[in-house]
Amino acid sequence: MEHNGFIQEQKTLEGDLNSDTSHKNSVDFLMNWFRKRSIFVLAYGTGCGAIEMPPTFTSRYDAERLGIRGAATPRQADVIIVSGYCSYKTLRRIIRTYEQMSNPKYVLALGSCTVNGGMYWDSYNTIKKLEDYMPVDMYVNGCMPRPESILEGFIALQKEIGEGKASSWQKYEENYEFYRKNQEAVLGKKVEPSYDADWYLYDGGL
Amino acid sequence: MFKEIKKRFATDDVEVKRPDLYKVGIKYTRLFELVHMLRDEYEYKTLNAITCTDWIEEGHFALTYMLTTLDRKHTFMIQTMINREDAHAKTFSHEFKQAQIMERDLHEMYGIDFIGNENLKELSLENWIHTPPLRREFDTLEFVNNHLTFREGRDDNVDTKAETKRLRALKKAAKEAAKKAKEEAKAQKPKDEKIKEGGG
Repeated sequence: MEHNGFIQEQKTLEGDLNSDTSHKNSVDFLMNWFRKRSIFVLAYGTGCGAIEMPPTFTSRYDAERLGIRGAATPRQADVIIVSGYCSYKTLRRIIRTYEQMSNPKYVLALGSCTVNGGMYWDSYNTIKKLEDYMPVDMYVNGCMPRPESILEGFIALQKEIGEGKASSWQKYEENYEFYRKNQEAVLGKKVEPSYDADWYLYDGGL
Repeated sequence: MFKEIKKRFATDDVEVKRPDLYKVGIKYTRLFELVHMLRDEYEYKTLNAITCTDWIEEGHFALTYMLTTLDRKHTFMIQTMINREDAHAKTFSHEFKQAQIMERDLHEMYGIDFIGNENLKELSLENWIHTPPLRREFDTLEFVNNHLTFREGRDDNVDTKAETKRLRALKKAAKEAAKKAKEEAKAQKPKDEKIKEGGG
């Protein structure tokens, strides 16, 4: 039993996942099981928290053993990670990216900056509460959260998906006016970023 | 070189900051002449940086141009004042290509209009309609309080300063009470003994 540590860790992590049995019917159970066991995370990082994501997904912490792996484009992804502070300029891109993703989609917010501004609490160019502008399924606090915390956040999210509780995309559709109002309050009437295929030459250039 | 600059530009504000860094303060009207002289005669061919300092009390911006010669590893710092209200200056982007983006940055952060610069579009802000953020009359905290919402604290959240004060007062009171009790005990002891003696 020398090399039991890793197996034991996995058992502890997955213990929570397999325990729940509260389902309406078996189709729901199956759908949710598929969803929670194949989470595709958009390869997109904002702010400093993005640096904790590569170790989470590569060999040391290996999120793929839990069914979590990367996706190249928003339309193929299930989860977007908002990893750290969002300036107004980033928020535009995050909203654009989030709206491009297909349902069901989930949001994982990392770091204290997304919770209450963190160390950027008095910055004129950084939003303080992410959930005002887009729905958030799971917050992982810390500055920055280590990959262990990120994995635990993912497992908590998987558990919610398995129970059918994580439904932030429906919340976004139902309360779109609320979110749009908040977005326009900080970003102006035109929320979408203005770029096209050659944005670095467009409109005066970089 | 200093002598020539002093004589030609009628300035006394000349200083050796480090062996490899000289500084000269000069009127804005003579700036171009000095920069051209340094570039053509003394081979200061690189414009390192343009920086701006906001002297709100005196009512002007201090623009600093850093010119470097890589052959001699030497830097020349030229400082000049421009008016704070309706701040404008002529562009250096025709002499030095890199000045274009530096001036664009200063325009964004301080609102200085560089006349002749082709593109002064915002660099890192987008659709900014308020005071340029690095001007000192821009109150960051006020802006944040007016424009953004903070998360409310938890219910069991306490003001740490007041809490520390309260705890300290409690501790002090407890200490004093203990002291008093000790003294009383001391005072009572002989009495008790006496009573015991009397009783015995």
